[in-house]
Amino acid sequence: MLNIVSLSLISIVVGFLGSLTGLGGASILIPLLVLLGIPVKEAIACGMVAIIATSSGSAASYVKERITNVKVAMYLEMFTITGAIVGATITTIIHPIYLYFFFAAFLLTSFLKIKKPSDCDFQESIHQDRIARWLDLKGSYYDECTNKVVEYKADHAVLGGLGMLVAGLAAGMLGIGAGAFKVTVQENILKLPPKVSSTTSNFIIGMTALAGVSVYLFSGLLNLTLMAPMAIGTTIGAVAGGRILNKISDRALRILFFLIVIFLIGQMLYKGVTSI
Amino acid sequence: MRNEKIGSGEPKLETGISFLLMVGVIISLILEIAGVILLYQSYRSLAISQNESAFIRGNDFFTFIFQQFQGKHSSGIGMELMTIGIIVLILTPYIRLITSVVYFGWEKNLKYVFITLFVLVVITLSLALH
Repeated sequence: MLNIVSLSLISIVVGFLGSLTGLGGASILIPLLVLLGIPVKEAIACGMVAIIATSSGSAASYVKERITNVKVAMYLEMFTITGAIVGATITTIIHPIYLYFFFAAFLLTSFLKIKKPSDCDFQESIHQDRIARWLDLKGSYYDECTNKVVEYKADHAVLGGLGMLVAGLAAGMLGIGAGAFKVTVQENILKLPPKVSSTTSNFIIGMTALAGVSVYLFSGLLNLTLMAPMAIGTTIGAVAGGRILNKISDRALRILFFLIVIFLIGQMLYKGVTSI
Repeated sequence: MRNEKIGSGEPKLETGISFLLMVGVIISLILEIAGVILLYQSYRSLAISQNESAFIRGNDFFTFIFQQFQGKHSSGIGMELMTIGIIVLILTPYIRLITSVVYFGWEKNLKYVFITLFVLVVITLSLALH
C-alpha cells in the first residue's frame, strides 16, 4: 500500500532513473502515481513542486561550474513561464481523460534525445541574428572532453523563444520539466552547444515549474503527503544518478530509456482508454 | 582552465545563484524530512492522506505565508513543518529572481533589468491572484 515511506523509496528510484535516462523524475513518477490510484491532476500538480527541488539542486552545481548560461536562461524564461501559466490553467479546467493522451503524446518528444550528437562534437555557429546580439546571448565554458574553452553565440532568438513557449505550455499542463524538448530547441534553433543546452534547460525548468505551481497553489491539488516524499525522493535519486551516470555504458542507458518510455506511454494510453 | 572569464560573463551572479539554490533546497528538504518524522510521532501513521488538512489552502501565496507563521492553518507541527518546507522550496527560485533583478539594476544593465522584472511581475501576479 502506498504511504509516505514507500512513495519516498519509489521517488528515489524514479529520480535515479530519471537522472540516468535524462527523462527527469516527474515524467516517470506521474504515470506511476496514476497507476497506483492517485488522481492525475493531483499527481501533475505535486510533480511540479518536486521538479523545483530536483531542478534547483542540480542547477546549483552546473551554474557554479559556469556551464549554464544565466543570461540565455533568463531571456528564455520570459517565454516558458508564460506558457506554463497558460498550460497549468488549462489542466485545472479540462477533463482528466485528455491529460492521459496529451501526456502519452508528449512523451514521444523524449525520443528527440536519441538523435543528439556527441557532446564533444559542437561546431560553433558563426552567424548571430540582431536580437540575439543585442541581448548579448553568448558565452563560453571549459569542456573536459576536449580540454578547451568553447566559445559560442546564440542565433534565432525570437524563434527559440517561441519554441520555449511551447515547451512551457507542455510543462505547465503535464507537470513535467519537458527537458528533451527544451534541449532540442536550444541546440537546433538557438544553436547552443549540447552541454550548455542541457544545463541551461535544467536551470529554466525550476522557474517554469514555479510558474506552474503558482497556478496549482490553491486549486486544492497540492497534497503535502504526496509533495514531501516526491521532493525528498526525486532529489536524492537525481543526485545519486548524476554521480554514477558516467560509469554506465551508453548502450545500457539507451535500452533503459526505451523500456521506460514505452512503458510510460503504454500506461497512460491504457488509463486514458479505460477511462472513456 | 576554469577561470572567471568563462560562463555568461556574470561570475558574481552565477556564484550567488548557485549558493542560493543549494541553500534553499537543503533547508526545504530538511524541513520536509523533519515534518514527516514528527507527523509519524503524532499520528503513528504515514498514510497518503486525502483529508482537507493535507492540502495547501488559502487565497494568495503571500497572505498564506503570513497566516502560516501566525499558525492560522495549523494541523499539527508535522504538517506545519512540511508546509514551511514547501514554502521555502517555492521561494527558492523566487528569491533567485529578485536577486537577478537587483544584480542587473546594480550593474545598470537595463535590458536584463527589464527581462528579469517581466518574469518577476508575472510570477508575483500569478502567486498573488491564484
